[in-house]
Amino acid sequence: MTENNLDLFASGRDEPDEAASGRADSQPVTPEDQEAPGPTVWTVSQVNRAVRKQLEQGLPNLWVSGEIANFTQQRSGHCYFTLKDDASQLRCVLFRREAARLPALPEEGMSVKVFGGLTLYEARGSYQMVVSQLELSDVEGLWKLAFERTRRKLEAEGLMDPSRKRALPRFPRRIGVVTSPTGAALRDVLSVAKRRAPWLRVVLRGSRVQGEGAGLEIAHAIRTLVAMGDVELVIVTRGGGSIEDLWGFNEEAVARAIADCPIPVISGVGHEVDVTIADLVADVRAATPSAAAEAAAPDQQAIQHLFANARRRLATGLAGQVQRRRWRLERAAEAMNRSARERVPVLRRRVEGAQNRIEALTRRRLAEGSARLAELSTAVDARSPLSTLARGYAVPLDEGRVLRTIGDFQMGSDFRLRVVDGTVPCQVSGEGAPA
Amino acid sequence: MSSSSEGGETVGAERSEAAAGEGLETRLKRLEAIVQALDSDAIELEQALALFEEGVAHVRGAQEILAQAELKVEELIGPGGDQTRDVAVDSDDG
Repeated sequence: MTENNLDLFASGRDEPDEAASGRADSQPVTPEDQEAPGPTVWTVSQVNRAVRKQLEQGLPNLWVSGEIANFTQQRSGHCYFTLKDDASQLRCVLFRREAARLPALPEEGMSVKVFGGLTLYEARGSYQMVVSQLELSDVEGLWKLAFERTRRKLEAEGLMDPSRKRALPRFPRRIGVVTSPTGAALRDVLSVAKRRAPWLRVVLRGSRVQGEGAGLEIAHAIRTLVAMGDVELVIVTRGGGSIEDLWGFNEEAVARAIADCPIPVISGVGHEVDVTIADLVADVRAATPSAAAEAAAPDQQAIQHLFANARRRLATGLAGQVQRRRWRLERAAEAMNRSARERVPVLRRRVEGAQNRIEALTRRRLAEGSARLAELSTAVDARSPLSTLARGYAVPLDEGRVLRTIGDFQMGSDFRLRVVDGTVPCQVSGEGAPA
Repeated sequence: MSSSSEGGETVGAERSEAAAGEGLETRLKRLEAIVQALDSDAIELEQALALFEEGVAHVRGAQEILAQAELKVEELIGPGGDQTRDVAVDSDDG
């Protein structure tokens, strides 16, 4: 802190020029060079120069808080804005190099804290602060601002749509990893992969995971891995760190590389609480590198169970085949038996019924027959020659031949006469006389 | 995989690598189909027996794959990523 020595008449004590834009280069003309008597008359340049020095020496670099107004960025990259509070305002300049270091440029109306030095821009005589650092009241505020801007932009393009998320292959054979070859994240991923799915082949494309240019390198690594690695999914991962450390994974280039990826991408950046743009655009977000590997690699224990289960179901399936057939046979046999058993009494009844009917029929027939026989017997008897003979008729027979007509009798021939109880020998004694 | 001549080992490694992943998924799918067939009444007993045998062979094959597996890691190097080099995997499971 220099003393506030406003000695306008000091001479020959020229401090060496500092490198600041807009400063005049000419040597100061001291009042003593002037010849005329009377009050000392300064040139404008002299006055401005002196004031600049007073300002720069009188106050150290300091932090100032206020609200941003009229923020502009020139094509040169330099930023100009006004910092204000209720009663006053202060013109500020943020040069290109310092501006580029910020994750995001502030917006109109934001409350910020700036660090810098006060000076006078001599050529214009304007009082201003040259800002070297700028922060929001929340120290991470600018990072969050930049994150939000990128997130909104990519979300509007649909890169974070849930419908874009692809399912992971169930049994991958080759998985890709983009991460630092020397980091703990890779060791975690490999350890998990080895434990869960040792038949996997892991293909690594190394990349820096923080620092300037990390975002582009990560994006490039993803594209190279997809083009050359012949893998079925990609894990993009790094271990924990500050928001600044993780910043590469928030860059648009990484988001686009992930979105363009034809195979599923698992993002596992930082710890559980860290969410990056990469996490939001990826197909699966994992909380940590280990979790990413767990999502990618199937668990051999679970697979053992699957196969053991299948083995059991094979056995029960085959047993079921046999059992069902045996059961069907038994049922059929039983049905046959039951049906047979049920039929016996029925059949028996039928047989008995038939028998009865036959017997009845037979009896009736017999009775009818007897009656008929008796009838016929009587009829026969009535027509029997014996009954005729019994009635007094006789039958002349000659050697068994019946003599019927007169002509059959010859005078003096012998014949027999059959009567009811025998025959009588006879002789023809005369000629027969017609009736 | 037993060590043999380099060419033979590479070919054998590639084939078993292809058989490894493919084997597991294919075998599992086939097992699922077999189990469903065995639970149905649409097949003959002879066929059921044959399917059972096939299923058992798949289970055994899968177990062999799991038993013999060894994690392999390679890194893509060079600006275009067109070369590879093998990366050693830590033997400790800490």
